[in-house]
Amino acid sequence: MKKRFLSIFLFLIPITIWAQQSKITGKVVSGGEAVPGVSVRVKNTNQGTTTDNAGQFSLAAGVGDTLVFNHLSYVTQELAVKNNAPLSISLAATSQNVNEVVVVGYGTQKKATLTGSISVIKGADIVKSPQPNVSNSLAGRFSGVIANNRSGEPGYDNSNIYIRGLATTGNNDVLVVVDGVPGQIGGLQRLDPNDIESMSVLKDASAAVYGSRAANGVILITTKRGKTGKPVISYSFNQGFSSPTRLPKMADAPTYATIMNEIQYYTNPGGGLNQFYTDAQIQKFRDGSDPLNYPNTDWQKATLRNTALQHQHSLSVSGGTENVKYYVSLGTIGQQGIYKHGATQYDQYNFRSNIDANITKRLKVGLYLSGREEDRVYPQTGAGDIFRSIYRAYPTVAAIYPNGLPTSGIENNNPVMQVTDIGGTNRNPTQVFNGILKGSYDIPGLEGLSLDGFFSVDKSWSADKSFSIPYPVYSYDATANTYNKVVVGGSAGLASLNQYQLNQSLVTSNIKLNFTRQFGQHHVDAFVGYEQSKTVMDSLSASRLNFPSSQLPELSQGGSAATDKNNAGKSYQFTRKSYIARLAYNYQEKYLLEGQARIDGSSTFPKGKQYGFFPSISAGWRISKEDWFQPVSFIQDLKLRGSYGTLGNDNVGLFQYFDNYSFSNQYVVGTGSNIHPGIDLIKLANPNITWETAKKLDLGINAVFLQHFSMEFIYFQQKRSNILTQRNASIPQVSGIVNPFGSDPLVPSENIGKVNSNGIEATLGYNNAAGDVHYHIGGNFTYAKSKIIFIDEAAGALDYQRQTGRPLNTYLLYNAIGIFRTQADLDNYPHLPGAQLGDLIYQDYNGDKQITADDATRTKYGNIPEITYGIVLGADYKGFDFSAVLAGQTHVSQYVLPESGTIGNFYSSWADNRWSPNNPNGSYPRADNRASASINGGLYNNTFWLNNASFLRLKNIELGYNINADILSRIKISGLRVYANAFNLFTITKVKDYDPEGGPTGSSTSSSGQFYPQQRIVNVGVNVKF
Amino acid sequence: MKTKNILSIGLIAIAGILVSCKKNYLDITPTDRVPDVAVLADSALFEDFVINRYMSVKLQDKEGEGTNPGFGRGFEYAMWSALTDESIYNNDDNTWLVQRGQLAPENTGIAGTIWGRSYRSIRECNYALNQIDSVAMSVGHRTQLRGELHFIRAFRYQDLIRNYGGVVLMGDKVYNLEDNLGDDALFTRATIKQSIDYAVSELDSAIAQLPLANDDSWQLGRATKGAALALKSRLLLYAASPLYNAGTWANAAAAAKAVMDLGKYSLDASYSGLFLNANSNEIIFERQYAIGARHVCLEISNGPNGYNGWAGNTPLQNLVDAYQMSNGKDITDPTSGYNAQNPYVNRDARFYATILYNGATYRNSTVQIYTPGGKDSKDGPSNWNTTKTGYYLRKYMDDRNPIDNPWNVAGLQPWIYFRYAEVLLNYAEAQNEAVGPDGTVYNAINLIRKRVNQPDLPAGLSQTQMRDAIRKERQVELAFEEHRFYDVRRWKIADVTENVPAYGIDVTTSGGSYVYTRKVALSGRAFATKHYWLPIPRTEIQASNNRITQNTGY
Repeated sequence: MKKRFLSIFLFLIPITIWAQQSKITGKVVSGGEAVPGVSVRVKNTNQGTTTDNAGQFSLAAGVGDTLVFNHLSYVTQELAVKNNAPLSISLAATSQNVNEVVVVGYGTQKKATLTGSISVIKGADIVKSPQPNVSNSLAGRFSGVIANNRSGEPGYDNSNIYIRGLATTGNNDVLVVVDGVPGQIGGLQRLDPNDIESMSVLKDASAAVYGSRAANGVILITTKRGKTGKPVISYSFNQGFSSPTRLPKMADAPTYATIMNEIQYYTNPGGGLNQFYTDAQIQKFRDGSDPLNYPNTDWQKATLRNTALQHQHSLSVSGGTENVKYYVSLGTIGQQGIYKHGATQYDQYNFRSNIDANITKRLKVGLYLSGREEDRVYPQTGAGDIFRSIYRAYPTVAAIYPNGLPTSGIENNNPVMQVTDIGGTNRNPTQVFNGILKGSYDIPGLEGLSLDGFFSVDKSWSADKSFSIPYPVYSYDATANTYNKVVVGGSAGLASLNQYQLNQSLVTSNIKLNFTRQFGQHHVDAFVGYEQSKTVMDSLSASRLNFPSSQLPELSQGGSAATDKNNAGKSYQFTRKSYIARLAYNYQEKYLLEGQARIDGSSTFPKGKQYGFFPSISAGWRISKEDWFQPVSFIQDLKLRGSYGTLGNDNVGLFQYFDNYSFSNQYVVGTGSNIHPGIDLIKLANPNITWETAKKLDLGINAVFLQHFSMEFIYFQQKRSNILTQRNASIPQVSGIVNPFGSDPLVPSENIGKVNSNGIEATLGYNNAAGDVHYHIGGNFTYAKSKIIFIDEAAGALDYQRQTGRPLNTYLLYNAIGIFRTQADLDNYPHLPGAQLGDLIYQDYNGDKQITADDATRTKYGNIPEITYGIVLGADYKGFDFSAVLAGQTHVSQYVLPESGTIGNFYSSWADNRWSPNNPNGSYPRADNRASASINGGLYNNTFWLNNASFLRLKNIELGYNINADILSRIKISGLRVYANAFNLFTITKVKDYDPEGGPTGSSTSSSGQFYPQQRIVNVGVNVKF
Repeated sequence: MKTKNILSIGLIAIAGILVSCKKNYLDITPTDRVPDVAVLADSALFEDFVINRYMSVKLQDKEGEGTNPGFGRGFEYAMWSALTDESIYNNDDNTWLVQRGQLAPENTGIAGTIWGRSYRSIRECNYALNQIDSVAMSVGHRTQLRGELHFIRAFRYQDLIRNYGGVVLMGDKVYNLEDNLGDDALFTRATIKQSIDYAVSELDSAIAQLPLANDDSWQLGRATKGAALALKSRLLLYAASPLYNAGTWANAAAAAKAVMDLGKYSLDASYSGLFLNANSNEIIFERQYAIGARHVCLEISNGPNGYNGWAGNTPLQNLVDAYQMSNGKDITDPTSGYNAQNPYVNRDARFYATILYNGATYRNSTVQIYTPGGKDSKDGPSNWNTTKTGYYLRKYMDDRNPIDNPWNVAGLQPWIYFRYAEVLLNYAEAQNEAVGPDGTVYNAINLIRKRVNQPDLPAGLSQTQMRDAIRKERQVELAFEEHRFYDVRRWKIADVTENVPAYGIDVTTSGGSYVYTRKVALSGRAFATKHYWLPIPRTEIQASNNRITQNTGY
């Protein structure tokens, strides 16, 4: 500890140069980046200097001297001077940076004195992921954060982030705060990773300072700021190659044709096994002798390309004087879809200008402006439907006829055509603007007293223009030898247009009075503040049918009949106001105590229920600072800490405190067939609706030991109550209170749910150097388990089917315990009416000798993992650097029932292993007309289709090389780094047919695996600094 | 320095103004929804609320495709006929489980939503009836709206009664969330008789208050006196039937006669055209559709694969066999002239209006169901969309609609809830049972037969023979109109008719002639006694904590 303080002093001591020694120069880097501010000292002297912005240093020393390189964030290193040649020094980062400053809610704090559970990721690490969507950079990096990437579609490829797993039956969304603005419009996903200085994740009651919206955790993002010094121009370019992590193998044509025969056989066993195709026809599918009539199509190959390209340019200039500092940047991202001749394209253009100025000695002003254009272009058919077509389309149908005409695919959906712009495109540009004006003023008269605040305006404009153009596909009539044209797309053979505009704004104002001061050994840091915000949304949509020409994609060029036109509009707004306070105190940085409180008001709730109070308290004890602890030399740092507080969640539909009626014009009256205006009751009132509350307890221990090890261990628990959730299972339909299918329920959210959750987080890190090789390795582990204490359930629900007492999001499934292979099996096991050989055997759970809904049981896990873990590796050697992140999850299940049958093709895993009269030992059930209506599938959702979605995957890996400074300085470049990195490079999992991160969130059994697959990205890049 | 101080103070002042806390900052008036006070304060809004009671909510996937469902099932991808011996739904969609006797409280297929949907509508009608006196409007207008609400409420009870038997009668009670939703009153099922009596009394109230006709102020598509009388006729017919045994045939006959006596309705000249014409004089009550408020596109969803259709609801041989020869004889009659190897000649005209068969002309080409090579067989395009029964649905198909890409334009056919032919059939059946096959019975049936050029029924039929004749007439006249399911149940013949295998036809050709071979189109068809009524959904039984009595056998 003393050494470190010494180094601070050294940093400050003016340097005297010893004339008789020669000048030694060199450059200090770490992980390929120049390290400024490193203290360089000649050992056993007072001589020293610090490195400049480019990591360069120069000092007087002689051959034989030893130089000591010291920086708070890096492992101290010594190097003997052998000659006068420039030195190149690479430092390894320390994992426990005791004096590191961490961004916390409404301020910053020294990491050493933190009392909450806060994880930090640096921007430098975020850019190591070639996935430009920032939400994909968190998985595996630290404990407590669960990030699942559910889709790889450009523009919609974000991860769902859960902090410490699911904790509520309500909304589980994390609050994102960007540069101090809670819930900034635009969020975190599309921020340019190059603009991010750091991200802090508040996992415990430390988030209580965000009160009503903090229950699911808070992510704080801080963008880069200028630093005093010469302008630094940095440019980077990345070229990425992206391909699906995995796609299911599908059955080929002869297999599928055989299955079709089997399905006919099961419908009509009297007709035999060749009701659809003769063996000769199947042979033709197999041997390809008649590609016109008997093709064998691999629809994935026909529709998808091997790799899609993506690229990213980023340019920034930063620097400043004592009084004005700036960071300005420009960036662009381009991502292609993986379709052949596909229309899908995501392009992003963004700028940022962060300027801080000292107007007077006391008054500081910051103006942070950023803007972004997100251009999304998709084909008319959405990704889900395209992949639905790919997986459904029969291998017995060609994609393109030998003469070049497109076929009608599956029910006139030919994915080869659907992915292109031939049917028109769906253009969906979004612009986001964020402006923050920040000010702070040190109030004279009382040292440590200051006033600060900000005023921010966020705006976003999303447009959607979907022009649907008719185009032909063909079906071949073998008898007549003709190709019959079918016009698909558009509407009734003519083009149609839908346009939509959504404007959102968020205006936030914040003012706070701060007091920070050291009184001898006592340190006080406190503030009181006020914040308010207003969100406004309005939307407008219009459509036209019957365009005279497909060349004229504008509303006013569409059909002129009254029935050709339609339009709609909607708007809402809501407001919040908050009073915030915090008092942090420490004695010698040894005893730490902090209290926070927030009073939040929200227009979501009725008068009298609008305000909630969210206090928290935390404390820490740095045992290693105690005098009596000093003899324990193998522990360098040891801290115990704990926090407890109340946080809130108000993320529910607005205006639920009165009966809501809404127009729904559908009923037609009169001889002219006019639609009469109609009103429906859409929401019953809950006049008592108010906050959901979370009480969070967190106990942690942090230590640095044996010099090279660092560890953290946390126990956490959370009690959610007043969870805003709907009663539906307990309300009999006969009451007339009946919720519609698939849309907003009639019943309002009520503060009825209760969920407890708890778990542990553990992190262990090690770093060291061996010669020129510096390396670090860290592992993290999170176990988070929820338990439902109260959820609305039917009074007569069976104990073993209740959700109460079980984790969130479990599935209710029949236990598939085998396949009926013999008549004896059918005789021996209770079975469903109509069960036949090849069907799944369901466990007669309640032993009543029949299979009914009472035999379904709850699964142990849902599809949010109970356990996640990560391994973070890094090493550097001279100019080379390497890093990797592995992310894993276990105790997790995923239900996927493919849409197979006469309705669509089969995964090979099913097709090749199906039970059939000819394959009585098959491990999969017999094929059926429609999996979704089969007694082996959707009719009796069962554990056969539930997969263990555990995996370990190499989330990120990067290898970089810094080109020798000598060569560069000659061409006026201060730094040049080339690197290659990858995302999702490999995965170990038992899931066969789809990416184990895939599937919808929740306990839905409706997933059929039809989503745009997750991407594996391999990327090369270069970074140049001037 | 001084200016800078002023600047500082200025900035702080601005900051102060920006955050100046307005006292009513949290008071937001919603702009996208209407509170109940507004609905009750304006008779136009109130009427808009009443209008939408003709519909109800979607409670299931593949229901309410297009617009919200009305009464019964109506035009959906899988029609109600796919639960009977009229057709099978080609793509299953949870219809086969009903046909195969797998219907269970947890597996109700497409038949699971009537319970919840009806009770939701009843609650909404009750709310409106409770509030209507507080809404300012003319007495006449209020009377009509009240009549409309009574009619809708009765129609919902009809939907419940004919599927579940005796049901829970709600009276005018509107349950709210703060009420005791475990109240015994919620779980006490009335008898069938009590249920029917209640629905009929509701209809009597509607009959007294509704206008006789649709005119400028009372638009087509809204209930009339005739609609209420027709519903009453149906209910009383059901009540008198063996399964219900809760009323008299005489009352049923009188109720049907009351509709006939209105003199307002008559048979449409064209049997096939009637189903495409919302303004037909035969229609007593219907649901209309329009661009922007459509049902499923029937032509593509039911058309033959050779026409790029999806062969949805495909008629069964069981129905095909019910159509007489045009000489008025059943095909089972050896003297009928029926030839099983040339089965589609000289049949009842309604056969051609209802069913597409091998060799039928449809949209300027011939339907080819034969193999090998027929374009509408498995040898045609998209062969998974070919028929399993050997037939396609013709009824309701509007040849003006495109089959390809009909989205946004097709789906406009009216769904007819009541038409005059049903009332005539109701009358004939009830009168035959009440007094025997008198002249009025013959008149009613022969009127229907005359339209399609079928000969009059032979004179001198016994009551039993007449009963059989009427049942056959109903089967073919009202095919696909959601009658067969209920008719075979109320006659208590479902244990016979629904246990006959689901037959189809195989057509093969060699040397220009066709060979017709009867086949089983869907294996495993089964019906057990318990299936006379639908099971109350398992979720409902559980929500009641097993206090609501499940129908026998489930």
